[in-house]
Formats: sequence, C-alpha cells, structure tokens
Amino acid sequence: MESWRRNPLVFWVVGLPPTAWLLLFFMVPLALVWVLSFAELRGVVDMEVTGTFANYARALDPLYLQIFGKSFVFAGLTTLVSLIFGFPVALAIVFAPRRWRAVLLLLVILPFWTNLLIRTYALIAVLRTRGFVNFTLEWFWEKADALLALVGLGSLHLLGERFEPLELLYNNTAVVVGLVYVHLPFMVLPLYASLEKLDRSLIEAALDLGASQFRAFATVVVPLALPGIISGAILVFIPALGSFLTPDLLGGTDSQMIANVIERQFKSANDWPFGSALSFLLMYLTFGALALRALYSRRTAGQGRG
Amino acid sequence: MATPIGPLDYSRRLWVRLTLLVVFVFLYAPIATLIAFSFNDSRRNIVWNGFTLKYYEKAMGNEGLIEAFANSLTIAVISTLVSIVLGALVAVLLWRFRFPAKAGYEGAMALPIVIPEICMGVAMLAFFSRIGWPSDMIWPFNLSAIIIAHVSFSFPFVAVVVRARLEGFNRELAEAAQDLGATEWQVFRDVMIPFLRPGLVAGGMLAFTLSLDDFVITFFTSGPNTVTFPVKVYSMVRFSVTPEVNAASTVLIVVTVVMTAAALWMQHRAGMKAEEAAG
Amino acid sequence: MVESTPRRATRRSFLAGTGAVAAGMTLLPKFGWGAEEKKLNFYNWDTYIGETTLDDFKKASGIEVKMDLFADNDELFAKLKEGNPGYDLIVPTNDYTERMIAANMLIPLDHSKIPNIKNIGKAFLNPAFDPGRKYSLPYMWGTVGIGYRKSRVDGVPDSWKWLYDSSKYAGRIALLASPGTVLQVGCKYKGWPLNEKDPAKLEQVAEMLIKQKPHIKVFAEDNGQDLLLSGEVDLTMEWNGDILQVMAEDKDISYVVPKEGGLLWEDTLAIPTGAPHPDNAHAFINYILDAKVGASIADFIQYATPNSAAKALMSAEYTGNPAIFPSDEVIERCETAIYQGPEYTQLVDRLWTKIGAA
Repeated sequence: MESWRRNPLVFWVVGLPPTAWLLLFFMVPLALVWVLSFAELRGVVDMEVTGTFANYARALDPLYLQIFGKSFVFAGLTTLVSLIFGFPVALAIVFAPRRWRAVLLLLVILPFWTNLLIRTYALIAVLRTRGFVNFTLEWFWEKADALLALVGLGSLHLLGERFEPLELLYNNTAVVVGLVYVHLPFMVLPLYASLEKLDRSLIEAALDLGASQFRAFATVVVPLALPGIISGAILVFIPALGSFLTPDLLGGTDSQMIANVIERQFKSANDWPFGSALSFLLMYLTFGALALRALYSRRTAGQGRG
Repeated sequence: MATPIGPLDYSRRLWVRLTLLVVFVFLYAPIATLIAFSFNDSRRNIVWNGFTLKYYEKAMGNEGLIEAFANSLTIAVISTLVSIVLGALVAVLLWRFRFPAKAGYEGAMALPIVIPEICMGVAMLAFFSRIGWPSDMIWPFNLSAIIIAHVSFSFPFVAVVVRARLEGFNRELAEAAQDLGATEWQVFRDVMIPFLRPGLVAGGMLAFTLSLDDFVITFFTSGPNTVTFPVKVYSMVRFSVTPEVNAASTVLIVVTVVMTAAALWMQHRAGMKAEEAAG
Repeated sequence: MVESTPRRATRRSFLAGTGAVAAGMTLLPKFGWGAEEKKLNFYNWDTYIGETTLDDFKKASGIEVKMDLFADNDELFAKLKEGNPGYDLIVPTNDYTERMIAANMLIPLDHSKIPNIKNIGKAFLNPAFDPGRKYSLPYMWGTVGIGYRKSRVDGVPDSWKWLYDSSKYAGRIALLASPGTVLQVGCKYKGWPLNEKDPAKLEQVAEMLIKQKPHIKVFAEDNGQDLLLSGEVDLTMEWNGDILQVMAEDKDISYVVPKEGGLLWEDTLAIPTGAPHPDNAHAFINYILDAKVGASIADFIQYATPNSAAKALMSAEYTGNPAIFPSDEVIERCETAIYQGPEYTQLVDRLWTKIGAA
C-alpha cells in the first residue's frame, strides 16, 4: 500500500468522483435529517430545531433498547443461517464446471429480481396453514395413517386424531426464514467472489500432507475465504437489522423489530424528530461495531498477515 | 463409467449437492407458487379456482403497470452502470492508498449500507425538496432523483464486493506491467480490470437487484409520473394479491431471464472471438 | 408521457416557522382563468373507483385522469407533508382530513363549481371534522367490525370481548395493525368513548391487549379478510367493505358490528394545496357526485355511498345489505375517530410499541 503523496494525480482522479457523490448526495441529506433529530414538534406538521436532546433521551428508554436487542438477535440468526447454507452453495458454484457457473449464479440471483412484496406473499402461500408445506405433510400423514389402518392399528390413532398443520407463519421463526430468503444472495455473491480466487494448490497440498477432507476444508478453505465471509456477513447483518417489511408481513404479535418502530415514527406517529433520533442511534451502534472491526483488521494486518 | 470424485470436486460431493438442492427448492418453491397462481381464476387468489389467462391480458393492458415497469428497468440499468464505476473506484482507492483519516473514510463509505432505508428515504425526500429539484422534466430525466438515490445506496455495496476480490490481486503483476512501460491507465485497463471482472459482475448484479427491487427509498423520491414497479405493486398488493400482480411479476422474471441470457451469450461469443483472435 | 406542470409554488422546509408556512400555503399560480390543461392527477386507494369511471369522465369532459395508488392514510400524509409532488385530488379518511385541515394542507372547495352537492345526504353535510364541508366532500363510508367464519364460531360473536378479552378462540383471531383504531375500539369495549384521551385509561386498554396477546395470531396489515378466507383465522377485526368482498366468495363468512359499538369512518374527496389543476379537480368531484355515476361506483366497489340520489338508484340487494348499510340502531352505537393532536398520536405509538415488545 502506498502513501497518496507518491501519486497524487491518480489518487485524486480515482478518489474524487465517489467522494464527491457521497458528500453531495448522501452526507448532505443525512445531515438534514440529523439536524431534525434535535427538533421538536410544533403543531401538526411543523418542526423547530431547538437543539434538544429529548428525542435521544426517549430513544434510550428500556422499552426501545429491548427492541434494539431483539433486532440484533434476529439479524445475527439470519446471518448465521445464511452463512451455513450459503457457503456450500458458493462452494458448489466455484468448483462446478466452468460453463455451469454463470447459470448457477443466475439461478441463485433470479428469485431476487422478483419484487420483495410478491415474493413474501408467495412465501406466505407456501408456509401458511393451507399452504404447500402443510399440504405435503398432510398428504404424507394421510398415507401413513392409511397404512396403519391397513395393518390394523387404525383405532389407536397413533398419529393423532386429525392432521395438525404446522404453525409456520406469524411467529419469529417465520421472520428469520423470510429474512434469510431475502438476504441469501448477499451472502453467496461475496463468498463466490472470494472463493473463486482461492489458490487450489493450497488445498491439494494440505491433502497431500495427509489432512482429511474435513480438516483440509476447515483449516484451509474456510480461513482463506474469510474476507468473503466477513463481507457477506456485513452485507446480510446490516440490511436484516434494518428491515421492516418482512417482520411486518410474516411476523406474529411478538416480532416487532426496531425498523418497524422507526417506520411508524415517520408514518402513523408523525414524529419525525423521534424517528430521526432512533435511526441515528441505530446507525451509531452499527457504525461502532464496524469501526471496531476495522481497527481489529488493521491490527492483525500490522502483525504481518496482510 | 463415472469418474471418481476428486479431492477438490466439491460440487460432486453429497453434502454439497444436498445443500444445493435444499436451497434451490427453498428459493424456488415460492416462485413456482407465484407463477402457478398467476393463472388462477379468482380475484382474491387464495384458493385455486380454475385456469385462465385473463389476468395476463389485464396486466399487459395495464398502462400504468407497464410504464412503472419501464421506469424500474431504466433506473436499474443506469444506476447499476454508475454504481459499478463509483464502487470500483472506491475499492481501488482503499486498496492502493494510505491517506489520513482512512478509517473514517471507510466508515463513511459504509454508512449507506448501515443506514435504515426509511431514514435514507426521508433524507433524500427532504434534500430534493429543499434544493428545489425540478419536478417536471421529461423522461428519462424526471427519473434522475430516483437514480441518484439508488446510486447513493448501491455503490458502497459494489465497493465491498470488489474490495473482497482485490484482496487477492498480486501487486507484482501491476508493477511488472509498469516496468514494461505501461502508463497508470493502461495498467488499470489491461491488468486490473480483467482481474476484477468477476467482482465487477457480481457487484453489478447486486446493484441491479437492489435497484430493481427497492421500495422504501424510491417511494420517498418518486412522484405522480415516476412510479416504479415495486411502488406500484406495493400499493396494488396492499388490498389483495390479485393474479394480475402475479402475472406482471412472472412477465418481469421472464424478461430479466431473457435479457441476462442474451447478455451472457453475447459475452460468451465475445470471449470465443477473443480466443480465436488470440489463438 | 410528457407532462409540463406549473412550477410548484410551495416548498415547505421543515425548518421554517409556522407563520411563514401559513403565508406560503396560499400561493397558487394561475395561468389565466380556467386555462388548465386537460389533465388530472388522482391519488386514490386501490380498487376504490368504478370500473369505467375514469374513461367515462374523459369522454364527458375531455380531461384525462391519471390515478396513482396509496396503501394507507399515513403514506398519503407522509408523501404530501413536505410539499405536494403534483397531485390534484386525494382521498383521505375523516381523521386524516381533519389533520390535514389543521396543517393547511387542503384548499377550500368552491361549492359553486360543484352543483351536485345537492345529492349528498343531509347527515353528511356538517360533520365535526369539517364543518360546512369547507375542505372536503364525502366519498364512501362504513364501519369497522368483526368478520367471522360461521361454522367455526359459536353463534354470532357480537362482542369485542372475543377479540380483546377472552381465550376462547385463542390462536384463531386477528386484529388490525392500526395502533389508533385498535386502542380506540378497545376503549369502546371498556365502555369508554372511542376518542378517550386520558393516558391512564389508554394504559389500561394496553394492559388488556398485552394480556390478550398470546391468543392473538397476528395484527393484520390490511389482509384480515384474506386470512379469514384462507382459514388462517376465524375471527378478524376488519373494515366492512373488505369482509363484503370475501363474503361474495365464501358463503360461510359473515360480518357483525359488536354490541359495544364499532368505528364509523368516512373517506373524503379533497384537493391538496399546490394542486396544479384545481379546476379539473372540482369538475371531477362534481362528476363523481352525479347520481348515476355515484351509483355505478358504489355498485362496483360495494361500499356505502353518502350520495342519496345515487342510493335511490341502487338495487334492493345493495341498500338492504346490513353489512353495507347498518341499521340506525347500529350506527347509534358507533363513533367516528377525531384527530387529537401530536401528544395523543405519540402516546398511542408508545403504547403500541409497548404492546408489541411485551
């Protein structure tokens, strides 16, 4: 890595466009909203910036902190599940014959070109009481029940009086399933990009040296894919944390996430200052976690691992 | 006679294949339902009521829907192109240079990823109305507010993906090229970009997806003449998911598949031509 | 489609003081008298207009109507709050109409341009939320009650108790996901006025809901009727029109307004400040209020029309349907929501967050 002074022309040419964009079309709007978080409501629609911290004080109330916590848990679970299922998929694509790769990638991406709302309603159609999963299970149940009856054990009702459909919807599990469904490609794509440049001779070397398949996988493949894992984790965790449509549509009475609360402030509660304060609190927290990660990676890079 | 599974043949291993199967069933079962129910002869689309094509007719004839769809595609294409450029520049910048407050800069670049969508939507709304962004431009310039908003939240995602790819780049290749007399631009164009291509493609697909599907931010930056597909569908769907919406979505899927297949095929052809020329 | 609209006159910055806002509100550019181009931007709920109304209006007047959709009042309000992005006619519900009037977001209607006002029923001409109908005119009205599946419920569930205060149908009930409405109806159940403002009493309603939460399957965004139809729930709190639509598809479903009373709502037609084509908007309102046009709209969307002249043209099946036109006795029991200011809204939201988090 070189200092920017060594090549200032290239530095500015490369750095100026994205920086200017970020400043003008992101920072400035954000600053406007940040200022809002110090405002108070005046009447129905107007707000006056008074420099008050009252909104932040409200945001730090245990009621809201608890919801923050729950949202972190949901997002964390989503990330974990996405990683567990996304890694083999990325692996399969990378090690597949060349001509299959583009097709497989496309197949992974394709569902995500459908509108989120439609996809979620379709997911509901699959998971609900009279949806496909339960229809299929019911079919199996009936066959098993008939089989038992045939064998003469019918009256014992070993499988229960009646088929009880699984309650797959309108609870927290459904929310995690929905979140994974939405965010899976954001895990697969970075993993793919990172695994693709993996030096395969390293794995072969490990195997030649006598490591088992599992050991080679765990000690060579996974660590080398770490940049991809981390990128993927960030790309899943953070949007999952901020999602409100999915918990809204798939969740039960218990599945409120912080983004739902924030959304309500900008809509039905009509309390834009408070909504801004909550959003910024959310951002400070996540920003803090990211900064920690950046510091950690700088330290480990400094230890000569770069 | 099947060849034995090699040590690196992960894609032929049972656990990998099984996971792949499960994931694909999981991903596509709802899509299959979606497409199946687009032929359902029932206004409310809860229970199957018979086969019909009439909702396709309705969707095709729905001018508002088609206009919204055209808008969505235009926005997605333009914002993806701009995002790829900006995202690649950021990734290269961060990979190559040391500069003061770099950690802060990286944090700032991560902000569009961190920010709750609704907060950004409100911010863009406030910004555009505050600076008096003109609202009555002709197409496609009237989509500019939405495109700008989309680029703002997409290019950091592209940067993350390209950055991950860059970690594996061997600087010596660039140095060797420079020793051989290449200018900075030539090194970038002929050495780095080809290496980055998978990252750029992956990042671009991500940006395209994000843009096409965006609802919240687009909702706040759109107006009467700049409705996009998700916004239109969202308002239609809040009352009930009529088969018309399913039909429109199916058409969208088919169109994007065809377009991507065409793009891939053209790339394949270009690749073959390059091989011929080289060999 | 190229459209040039006159420059929006008002750009309200949320940092401006109220005085400047009010002054800025009243500016509207006019390119000479009545010389608007023949277009109209209509912002409406989904499936809330007759099948051919827009085309018919075009034939009758030459004005082309472009209809955009919004999904709930909050969306409408949020969109218009920072300045009108170009809509001429909107359809807010009564309490939001009230809120918008308070915020100077609507222009006064010129009744001289709307002769068909005479068709409106007397009962609708002077509501509390808009005395003298200065800013809005009624479009449709209805109730919020309980939709239920007859075969899975004992008798007629004519009390909110089954939704708010009983485990009898645990896991089979749904309520609306609307914080205000749920709390307000809860007040009705407790025997208090719908618009009860006392924080202590509202806390009690919230406590009741927290206790009831394990029995509630879901707070339905807008699809309670779909849940009922698909068998996901057997009782749901819903708007009458939504239940009516599924009643047509499934004879096992019915609707009732509980004995404690329900919510009475009215959707209104209004013209937001900064509308580029206010004259065309007036013309369209007048067109909708015509007897025949009103009747055809009501027939298609199956909601109760406040237009007496239109009602007179409707079939007995429509006018005699208690789910569309509740009896006077039922109407007596119901109340309309009023807008009660930001503190009330904040309180409702905090209680709703508390219920969700408990």
